[in-house]
Amino acid sequence: MALVNLKINGIDVEIEEGSTILEASEIAGYEVPTLCHADGLEPFTSCFLCVVKIEGGRGNLVPSCATKVTEGISVTVESDEIAESRRMNLNLLLSDHSGDCVAPCTVACPSSIDIQGFLTLVREGRESDAAKLIRETAPIPGALGRICPRPCETACRRSRVEESISICYMKRHISDTEIKEFGEVQLPDPSPSTGRSVAVIGAGPAGMTAAYYLRLNGHSVTVFEAHAKSGGMLRYGIPYYRLTDQTLKDEFDAIEGLGIEVRYNTVIGRDMSVKHLEADYDALVIAIGAQGASSMRVEGEDLPGVYSGIDYLGQIGDGGDPDIGNKVVVVGGGNTAIDVARTAVRKGAEVTVLYRRTRAEMPASSFEIDEALHEGVNIEFLAAPVKVEQKGKGVSVRTIRMELGEPDASGRRRPMPVEGSEYEIEASSVISAIGQKVVTDSIVETGVGLTRWGTIVADPDTFMTDRPGIFTCGDCQTGADIAVRAVGNARKAAYSVNQYLNGEDVTGEPEQFNSTMGALEDISEEVFKHYEKTPKVEMPLIGDKQRVTTFVEIETGFARDKAKSEAERCLECGCEAALECKLRIYSTEYGADQSYFAGDIRDFQNDHTHATIKMEVNKCINCGACVRACAEIKGFNVLAYVGRGFGTRMVAPFGRSLVDTICDGCGECVTVCPTAGIMYKKGAGNEAGL
Amino acid sequence: MENTRVFVGLGSCGIAAGAQDIYDYMAPDLKSGGLDLEVTSCVGMCYAEPIVEIEHNGERRRYGYVDKKFADELLESVKTGTFPEKNMIALSEDGKKYLDRQVKIVLQNCGIINPECIDEYLEADGYKALTKCIEEYKPEEVVSIVKASGLKGRGGAGFLTGLKWSFLAGAKGDKTGDTECRDPVLSRKGDKTGDTECRDPVLSRKGDYKYLVCNADEGDPGAFMDRSILEGDPHKVIEGMLIGAYATGAKEGIIYCRAEYPLAIKRLNIAIAAGEEKNYIGDNILGTDFSFHLHVKEGAGAFVCGEETALMASIEGKRGMPRLRPPFPANSGINKSPTNINNVETYGNVPFIILNGADAFNKYAFKNSYGTKVFALAGKIKRGGLIEVPMGLSIREIVTDIGGGTSSGRPVKAVQMGGPAGGCIPERLFDTPIDYDSINETGAIMGSGGMVVMDDSTCMVDVARYFLSFTQNESCGKCTFCRIGTKRMLEILIRITEGNGKLEDLDKLEELAGHITKTSLCGLGQLAPNPVLTTIKYFREEYEAHIKNRECPAGVCKSLITIQVIPDNCTGCTLCARVCPVSAIEGMRKKIHVIDPETCTRCGLCIEACNFDAIEVV
Repeated sequence: MALVNLKINGIDVEIEEGSTILEASEIAGYEVPTLCHADGLEPFTSCFLCVVKIEGGRGNLVPSCATKVTEGISVTVESDEIAESRRMNLNLLLSDHSGDCVAPCTVACPSSIDIQGFLTLVREGRESDAAKLIRETAPIPGALGRICPRPCETACRRSRVEESISICYMKRHISDTEIKEFGEVQLPDPSPSTGRSVAVIGAGPAGMTAAYYLRLNGHSVTVFEAHAKSGGMLRYGIPYYRLTDQTLKDEFDAIEGLGIEVRYNTVIGRDMSVKHLEADYDALVIAIGAQGASSMRVEGEDLPGVYSGIDYLGQIGDGGDPDIGNKVVVVGGGNTAIDVARTAVRKGAEVTVLYRRTRAEMPASSFEIDEALHEGVNIEFLAAPVKVEQKGKGVSVRTIRMELGEPDASGRRRPMPVEGSEYEIEASSVISAIGQKVVTDSIVETGVGLTRWGTIVADPDTFMTDRPGIFTCGDCQTGADIAVRAVGNARKAAYSVNQYLNGEDVTGEPEQFNSTMGALEDISEEVFKHYEKTPKVEMPLIGDKQRVTTFVEIETGFARDKAKSEAERCLECGCEAALECKLRIYSTEYGADQSYFAGDIRDFQNDHTHATIKMEVNKCINCGACVRACAEIKGFNVLAYVGRGFGTRMVAPFGRSLVDTICDGCGECVTVCPTAGIMYKKGAGNEAGL
Repeated sequence: MENTRVFVGLGSCGIAAGAQDIYDYMAPDLKSGGLDLEVTSCVGMCYAEPIVEIEHNGERRRYGYVDKKFADELLESVKTGTFPEKNMIALSEDGKKYLDRQVKIVLQNCGIINPECIDEYLEADGYKALTKCIEEYKPEEVVSIVKASGLKGRGGAGFLTGLKWSFLAGAKGDKTGDTECRDPVLSRKGDKTGDTECRDPVLSRKGDYKYLVCNADEGDPGAFMDRSILEGDPHKVIEGMLIGAYATGAKEGIIYCRAEYPLAIKRLNIAIAAGEEKNYIGDNILGTDFSFHLHVKEGAGAFVCGEETALMASIEGKRGMPRLRPPFPANSGINKSPTNINNVETYGNVPFIILNGADAFNKYAFKNSYGTKVFALAGKIKRGGLIEVPMGLSIREIVTDIGGGTSSGRPVKAVQMGGPAGGCIPERLFDTPIDYDSINETGAIMGSGGMVVMDDSTCMVDVARYFLSFTQNESCGKCTFCRIGTKRMLEILIRITEGNGKLEDLDKLEELAGHITKTSLCGLGQLAPNPVLTTIKYFREEYEAHIKNRECPAGVCKSLITIQVIPDNCTGCTLCARVCPVSAIEGMRKKIHVIDPETCTRCGLCIEACNFDAIEVV
């Protein structure tokens, strides 16, 4: 066979006559992306992702999969122009690709926990494997499984059938089962030592998560903690009836046990200088949280008998018992306000919560509010304190009625005082829980920049501050936020620190492209109508009497069989092909954006009639590989192009279902499908690799 | 009645205007006088249909606008021998203007001879060119003459016909399909294009086998050149193909005609049968070794099948989807055999060139374009119809002189040339001459000959939306940029016509158009953005008015207009209320009427109905 010489991006290539530019590119070391081309099929040129430019042509881009090499040509296979064309191509394909790469619960989870994955493992009775899976992205499932406000459950598609999966409690179940089985949490062994060292300030969820992943990477980690115990706000901001001392010990001590030195009762700036840290360690992670209480800005808030919520909870967390009397007013509407109220109930007080908006605007988790009301907490909505005065041994809170006006910047309606509606509430103490702020005194010396809200400036992808080598994560970077976000950000920060310590470019944790079927409420009813309604498994609780008098954990956890049936409710929204899908791989590589060309999108349409093959036409990208594989390799014509224009589909013609065709399930179509348009059915016995 | 012949033009356009009724009305009367009413086809003056011609003592009078009352007059005149002076459309001022600038090469016989009668074609020097070829020229000499004429493909792309023929002539086709690449650009060192196998039991024949195809899948909105030619003079096209076959060695001919042209198909089949009878078609033509079989393949109604690779797939019985070229049809066409494809009008030029010589043809020259071009002059034009003009005539001469300006009397705004693949040329560029290069420079294309005239009541955004929606619906759905890209462009255009556009949308349209043009598989996709690009280029302010002011300056886009009664003009005649299909107009007799904007669908029927100019668009 004669040989042809050509240039691929300036590289000389010699290849057999009749070869394609795609093949020549491979020789030159360029992997040209293609979706429609597959080994064993004639080139078809439908996707046009493999486009390249031939010098001296008419300026257009040609598909390299079908363009034959000719002597002396010079071809560009990678350039800005070509990358832009491929990116636009992917943007277009994605705009008509209706499916989720990963399930929406995982997308919603700030720690990106593989929820669909751990539910599958629970279904199979593999709780300890599930715990390992969770710890790949979040090392404290036991704590999170008790206190997380569950953004995942809000996104859960099952709620379109009847109600969401009980995802959060399943994490707790997994952790509890693991501990029951092994007596302790099972953590992986750290990698061999790298000889690099990191100092972490703060042993809360962020600091200890960062420490965990850094330690697993073989770095030497020292954590500096001002308190006597680890856990941060999980211990000092959340009462033990929600998150027990035992759970915190189980998880945080285990992390410490990986060989992390935690120096307790050590305040940076007081017991240890920043200079010292910078000199002794190769990198620094600041995870000091948001420990300061926001002021109520009312007269009399400095009087005795007026406390801040986090101080109060902090003292309780340390085993203290501040005297708040038997009639307590709590100011605020967040989870801390509710935690304070419920703690005060347990201390025997009669509790009134003042919140200036209505229940609908209340930031606290709805189920926490329900529990508080159940335990006898009185919540006065549309009420705010204007002045606190000493009255006898206690205080008197002058309170004013509010009404809702126009929406403010947060989108919530602004509370406005109702003139002349003031009234007095007499109380033994007032506890304000209206917000937290970052207290940066201890780390001022590091010189890191602060935002106008007093949080630490950091790159949103790498979590590196404006000082090289100093990273930050958790509430001190985000402002007071939920623990699961602190954990997720800490993991990402640790990724960057690891890059930094290894002398690599600090780029942050890579983000994979994720296709989405859209917002929960926008998804077609078609997706859900075949599911039978099955209510979620309820969490068993201890008796009411015991609840309001002790700090015993209220929730007692799922029995294993109940957990299994709960896991069975999962709709498995995430795509089975998520790891090998070429559309996703290239979309990640080229930075494609599914919303760039938002418009009409194909409807949810699937065909599960066949015994072994299933089609999800909504994920099809019309490359036609299945149609050709069936015709060219198998010699059947089960599938065809049907329709014209934007509505063209690859399906069995004449409106037939797959089962009504001569398809024998040979799977040639599955092999060539670049997405999950055609797949083997689970358990059909012929899944690739099984 | 002696020395008298009477003809009725029965092309599709004439029939649509009532010519068949006139024929049926006049024929019995003439028959009783011993005269057969004769049939011809479209003479091109579609604006004056139905048309009846009377030949008396060798003098032919062409009457237009014939209704039954006028038909009575004509019948009477045949008896008396005194013919009316009115409606003589060929001699009227209008008619002269319409005809004077035209040069008829392809349309020479259209509307003159009976297309269903081969003898009339023969009388008009029919098949003389073929005979001349066979008797006087070697095949390569025929190719040379066609090359020398400068004839370019009239389907739109404008590739030199003679050169194309030379590729097929040089291609070696046989049953096993080992074909050598003769493409001047791609064939280096005579590389092979690959093993091919002809599998069609009907079409595959032993030995050196090549195909010649006539593309008659005319699908552009507003275009009817090919239909009129096939209906009016099918033999001319067939003769052109025979000459092509002789020149290239093709053995099998296929006319791929859209099924929506039943009359053209009927007349083609009559012509082929007559040609076979007289041995112009078939084996051993005119007693020589030259054999050529010809048949009609009806297209299934997909616009994309006008693209040559999709057309070939359709002939092979597959879904009409384009494929990448190369290989070009001359190397690997139908059943992977060498194939040549030309358009109807291209073949229609060939007999003239052979009969009169290349010089007689290329004396009509402008820049790099030679001969004439047939246009279907349509839209808001006073004298619409089928015209054939020499290269170099300006758009203005066509629109103003031949077409007589707009039918509405309103200012002309633009012409759309080249159908959905073409573009809009604004009035200020009407001095652009008709030649391939000059038209391309405007951003439009010569195309196959559709020329749609628009006056100032046409919204250019709406025009772009219309053409793009056509292309999007007709996309075969194969390649990404065409299938989804045109859809996204269309969605943006719809947003703009509904008043929901943003200025960034114009950038996005141009960005997307650039990608679609550069990276689509076939002409349908590559050229689909043209109507959008040219309207943005020439009428950007109109887009901006829709976006910034939420108004449609032409008063077309329904979401942006209101239709209301002008109280001063309204006489309370109730006509508008009666024509309104949604009962949106209220008003008592002799009282000023009111249109309810909530109910009104902006269909505009009331405006057309009103005799007092009392309804306006705001």
